[in-house]
Amino acid sequence: MLLEIGVALLLARLMGYAFERVKQPAVIGEILTGIVVGPFIAGKIFGMKYLSSVTEGLGEIGIILLLFISGLEIGVEEIKTAGKKGMITSLFDVSVAFIFGVLAGYILGYDLRTSIAIGNILVATSVGITVRTLMEMNALHSKVGELILTVAVLDDVLGIIVLSITLGEGEPSMLLIKIILFFLIFLVSLIFVNKIKNIKFFIPRLIITSAISFAFIFSALAVDLGLAAVTGAFFAGLIFSNLPQRRRIDDFTRQMGEIFFIPLFFVWVGASFDFYAMKNMGMLVALFIPMALIGKIIGCSVGAKVCGFKGRDAFAVGVGMMPRMEVALVVVTIEMSMNVFNKTLAHQVLASTILLVIISSLITPILLKIVYKEEKESNNQSEG
Amino acid sequence: MNLKELHEKKVRDILDEKQMWNLPIVEKEADIETVLRILTSRDHVWVVKNKDSRKLCGVITESDVLRLLAPTRLPKYVFGKKYSISLEYGTAKRAEDIMHKQLISCSVDDGVGDVLSRMVNARIRRLPVMENGEIVGEITIHYILQILLGKR
Repeated sequence: MLLEIGVALLLARLMGYAFERVKQPAVIGEILTGIVVGPFIAGKIFGMKYLSSVTEGLGEIGIILLLFISGLEIGVEEIKTAGKKGMITSLFDVSVAFIFGVLAGYILGYDLRTSIAIGNILVATSVGITVRTLMEMNALHSKVGELILTVAVLDDVLGIIVLSITLGEGEPSMLLIKIILFFLIFLVSLIFVNKIKNIKFFIPRLIITSAISFAFIFSALAVDLGLAAVTGAFFAGLIFSNLPQRRRIDDFTRQMGEIFFIPLFFVWVGASFDFYAMKNMGMLVALFIPMALIGKIIGCSVGAKVCGFKGRDAFAVGVGMMPRMEVALVVVTIEMSMNVFNKTLAHQVLASTILLVIISSLITPILLKIVYKEEKESNNQSEG
Repeated sequence: MNLKELHEKKVRDILDEKQMWNLPIVEKEADIETVLRILTSRDHVWVVKNKDSRKLCGVITESDVLRLLAPTRLPKYVFGKKYSISLEYGTAKRAEDIMHKQLISCSVDDGVGDVLSRMVNARIRRLPVMENGEIVGEITIHYILQILLGKR
C-alpha cells in the first residue's frame, strides 16, 4: 500500500504539471494517474492494488479539505457582495442545470432519487477553467467575465445546498428540521468565532488546529443530521473565512491538501474508473453530457438576459459556465458512497462524469473564444 | 526607555500626534494607481471607508502588491474570486479589490507588551490602533524601535 501511495503521489504531480503546461487542469492529469495506477493498467501489469479502504479513507479526507478550502476562499463576504445580477443568474443556472440532469435520468428510465442524484452532479461549475479561459481572452475584467465569475462562485454554494436538501436522509419533515438546525448551528458558530477573533491568550497553532478540527467536527455533525459530510466542511470553511488569520489557515490547509490528500482523492476517482462499465453506457453518455452542457447554456443565458445582458453576451455567460470539475466529482463520489446508484450504474455515472470533466474543459475555451470574439465584433459593428 | 518599561506602557502613552497625521491612508474607492504610488515609499496602506470618518476597512501590504506584480498563476484547485484579482488582467481596480478585510487591531488602552505579543502570534508587522471604531495610529516594528532607541 505504501508503494502504491508513493507512486500515485509522484505520478499525479508530474501528470498534473504536464496538463498545466498544455493549459489544461491538473485535475485531469491526476484522474488519468488514477487510471494508470488502478486495477486495469498497473494492477494487471505489476499487480498493484491501489483501491483499498486506506486510499479511500485518504481520499475522503481530501474531499473534506477541498470543500473546507472552498468555503474558506469563497467566504461569507463574497456571498454577501455577489449582487442582484449574480444571484438571479445563479438561481436560473442552478435550477435549469439541475432540472436538465433530472430530466436526463427520467428519460433513461431511472427512478426519482437516481435522477435527482444525476441532477446534483450537473449543478456546480468549475471556477478554475473559466478563469483561465477569461484570462487568455483578456476578458476577466469585462462585464461578461465578472458575471461568469460571480455565478461560478455562487453555484458552488448553491450546489452544496441543493445536494444537502435533495439527498438528505430521513423523512422530509424531519430532514427539514435537521437542515434548519444545521444552519442555526452554523450561524451561532459564525457569530461565536467572530466574537473571539481578537482573543488575547495564545497557544501555538491553536487557530489552525481549531480550523482543521472544526472542518471534521462540522462534517461529522452534518452526517449525524443526515446531510453530506462535505456540507459540513464547506460551512466550516465559511465560518473561518471571517477571521484575520484566514490567509494562514488557507495557506496551511492548501499545502497539506494539495500535496497529499486532494491528489489522492482524484487518483482514487481515476482508479475507480471501470472500463467494463463503458460497454453499456452509450445512451447515458449521449444524454448526460449534452444535457449537462446545454442546461448550463440555457440556464445562465436566460438568467443573464433577465439581468439585462444582450443576446450574445448572455450566450457567452452560458458558454463560460459549462466546465465541471472538482465539485461534480466530489458529488458523484458522495452519491456512490450513499449507494444511490446500483454498482454498475455507479461506475457508469462516474465514467460519464469524468468524460464530462474532460470534454467540458476542452470545448469551453474554444467555444467561449468564438462567442466572445463575435461579441466584440458585433459591438464594433454597432458602434461603427 | 528600556524594553521592560516599554512593555508596561499603554499604547496611548507612546502614540504621538505627528504619527496620526502621517498615517498611510486611502479611501476604499481609491484607484489602484494611488495605492501603488503610496507603496513606493511606504510598506503598507490602511484602507478607510472615507477620510473624514477614518472607519477602518482593510490593509494593503507590500506582499499583497508583490503577488499583483508577479505573473498571474492559478493554483491547482480554484475557488472564490481571490485568484482572479490581477493587475495584469485589469481586475484590480480599486483599493478595496486587493485589501485584507479581516484585521487584528489594538486599542489605545492596551499594553504595549500585549500588543507586541499579538503581533508575534499573528505573524504581522503592523497593527492599527483603534478608538471608537476609527484608526488613530499604528504600531509598527520601526515605530517601536524608534521609541526604544530614543528617536521619538
